[in-house]
Amino acid sequence: MLIALLALVFAAVELLPGDAASASSERGESAADLAERRHLLGLDRPVWARFAHWMTALPAGDLGTSARGQKVTELLADPLPNTLVLAVSAFVITVVLSLLLGCWAASRPGRLTDRIISHTSTAAFAVPEFVVSAVLLLVLSLWTGWLPAVTVTGGDGRPATWTMLIMPVLALVIPQTGWNSRVVRGALADQASTPHVEAAHFDGLPPRRILLRHQLPGAIPAIATGIATSTGLLFGGAVVVETLFNYPGIGSLLAGAVAARDTPLIAGVVMCAGAVISLVLLAADLIRHATLGVRA
Amino acid sequence: MSVTRRQLLWAGTGIGVAGLLAACSGGSEDSEATGGSGAAGKPRTGGTLRVGALGHASAITRDPHGTQANESDYLILALLFDTLTIPGAETNTAPRLAASWEPSADLKTWTFKIAKGAAFHDGTPVTADDVVWSLKRLRNTPSGAARLPGIQAKNISAKGTDAVVVVSDYANADFPLMTRFSSFVMKKDTKDADIDKAPGTGPFKLDWFRGGNARLVRNDKWYGPDVHLDAIEVTMFETPQAMTNALLAGQIDLASNAGAVAARTAESRKDVQVLRRPDDMAMPIVMRTAKGSPFADERVREAMRLVVDREAMVKQVLSGYGTVANDILGTGDPDYAKDIPQRKRDLTKAKQLLRDAGFDLSKTYELVTTEDISGLADSATLFANQAREAGIKIKVVKQESGAFWEKTWKAGDFYTTYWGTNDSVVFFASKTMVSEAGQNEAGWDDAGFDAAYRKVIGSSDPKKRAAALKELQQIEHDRSGYLLWGMADGIDLAAAKVQNLPRLPGYGRVQLEGVWLR
Repeated sequence: MLIALLALVFAAVELLPGDAASASSERGESAADLAERRHLLGLDRPVWARFAHWMTALPAGDLGTSARGQKVTELLADPLPNTLVLAVSAFVITVVLSLLLGCWAASRPGRLTDRIISHTSTAAFAVPEFVVSAVLLLVLSLWTGWLPAVTVTGGDGRPATWTMLIMPVLALVIPQTGWNSRVVRGALADQASTPHVEAAHFDGLPPRRILLRHQLPGAIPAIATGIATSTGLLFGGAVVVETLFNYPGIGSLLAGAVAARDTPLIAGVVMCAGAVISLVLLAADLIRHATLGVRA
Repeated sequence: MSVTRRQLLWAGTGIGVAGLLAACSGGSEDSEATGGSGAAGKPRTGGTLRVGALGHASAITRDPHGTQANESDYLILALLFDTLTIPGAETNTAPRLAASWEPSADLKTWTFKIAKGAAFHDGTPVTADDVVWSLKRLRNTPSGAARLPGIQAKNISAKGTDAVVVVSDYANADFPLMTRFSSFVMKKDTKDADIDKAPGTGPFKLDWFRGGNARLVRNDKWYGPDVHLDAIEVTMFETPQAMTNALLAGQIDLASNAGAVAARTAESRKDVQVLRRPDDMAMPIVMRTAKGSPFADERVREAMRLVVDREAMVKQVLSGYGTVANDILGTGDPDYAKDIPQRKRDLTKAKQLLRDAGFDLSKTYELVTTEDISGLADSATLFANQAREAGIKIKVVKQESGAFWEKTWKAGDFYTTYWGTNDSVVFFASKTMVSEAGQNEAGWDDAGFDAAYRKVIGSSDPKKRAAALKELQQIEHDRSGYLLWGMADGIDLAAAKVQNLPRLPGYGRVQLEGVWLR
């Protein structure tokens, strides 16, 4: 899967107009200079050959060199942990919030709370990250001055204060919670109509106990899959959110790399994000397998 | 000889210093005259200036002689290292690491004297050997020939411990101008691997650098005028929008080159200074003058220059943050010919000229442009609309940047270009207009212009030079391949407490050593 994705990245960059040599060309650079740089960057070789070369170095942990001659692994050293901090915090908060909201709504099916949560979450998911970000920025920073508007880093390459994380995390959490609380609510509703849950109702067990002990375990496989899907969307959202809040992560690195047609750097970023997403998907699969296994 | 695109954007380096020097040496008129961050009393020592500058994480560089695609990198380098000369307000070239310079009678040999007391951050004095080594290193970069035109590496040598001799292949009265750009001096034999830690000679020393951001502290032993700030912190921003937000939220004190959109956002805020540095960016339209081009006839070119509504262009393309220009490049030059009458819109005369020249009005002409800088493509579109009023059909073609520079630039009949070095008329003449120029964008070949140019660079007599320079500009105004409708201001945003910011165009904005905080 990941290999196919990376191949796609190479092909997609190839299809964009211009290449790394022309994107970084100088006014007055002669055609000969350009051809030489193209050769140095290996751009005169066919795209599949470049891809094969890049892939064979991969097992040794070598992500190649960027169009500007720096090691991609070095370029990723600071931004990748920053993005992981952002994405993991957003992920954890999303999971907790979605479960709470989903359960809350499911425990009052059809009532006002349920409807409010359901509509708000749909709306939250429908709003793109950059709109959420813009609103957060205006309200929490420019109008009230409660939070710093952008991230400024210190000498250690990390955000200067933890408060700089709040808005980027919120901008990712809001749409994803919208999506996942609907998933949770839906999965719980499906479980509500299963025989053993209905039996529990007839037995007169308290609704809260039914929800947590009987509905939720059965719903977990579906919830895990939904949340795993979120990981990909979180990384996608990070590209937008990091640029807006000047957060020094792989998202902003990627934006610049695409503009510079820097294939090895783009592939390196995709590789790391892809690896994380694959791991989460795998975890979700394992959870589903484990829980279904218990039931089977 | 070719100068690279990005270098030219930076060619204004240091331009602000002359004004700052003047201000520091007692004459505060310079900054008062420009308003805004005027000299409110005596400079106060202390404080940290937090600066935002644009840059991409994927393009960070630390090499002073490399290609700095990021403004943030260039800003940091310009504060750590010194160039031999810098641009000035009164004269185009002002002293920096070179305290003085002297040509030979034939204007081919130039001797630069190193400033007294100049030392590297580690305490070792700057010697001629260091300067020679640095200039040779610069000359040996891929664009070295463009950076030191007419100078071969073997013709750079030391004379004693404090003088450097450079021999040009031809007479060049304006050679010192070229050493303003990227002649950063490093210690002799600095290894490429050690550049990250290499000591400079500049007003600030490196505290730390990480991921495009840096903290610089005052160099108390700098040979130049007093530096007031304790430190400068540079934060790199991917977008002007994020940089503006940071300034409005008080996280930075200065947003460097934030642009017109940011200026409009901040205009209503009383606590923010909007600084306009005039003559910052030229976006001329180029008309190919060579045979076979529809613009080969100089009457057609004049008609085009009469068709444009310059006020409307400045107002709409630049949001009003700019000034009308008169088809002569180098508007920031102290020797710019202000006395040549401003060309105005005249559709009747334009139509007459087109008729006389037999210009084919039934055809549609393609005007090629890019979206390299904001406003460039808009300028083409607006011009096309204005030309329609004179019956000229123009279709705007937007090209991807790489393709534009590879295929259209220097070759197309009709296209937009842009330049950041607007402080020297001679610079443009030598780079883009003299018939043999490597970057003759319009393919212009004019014997009268060439003769005037040779008189300018070949004469050391100021009177003769001035007369020739005037003649050169008149010819350029009358018949060159350029339609220069206006000049964009450089726009910086600053907090109210920031005083004595650089005011000159181009990369004058990187010269922050005279800044102080109220």
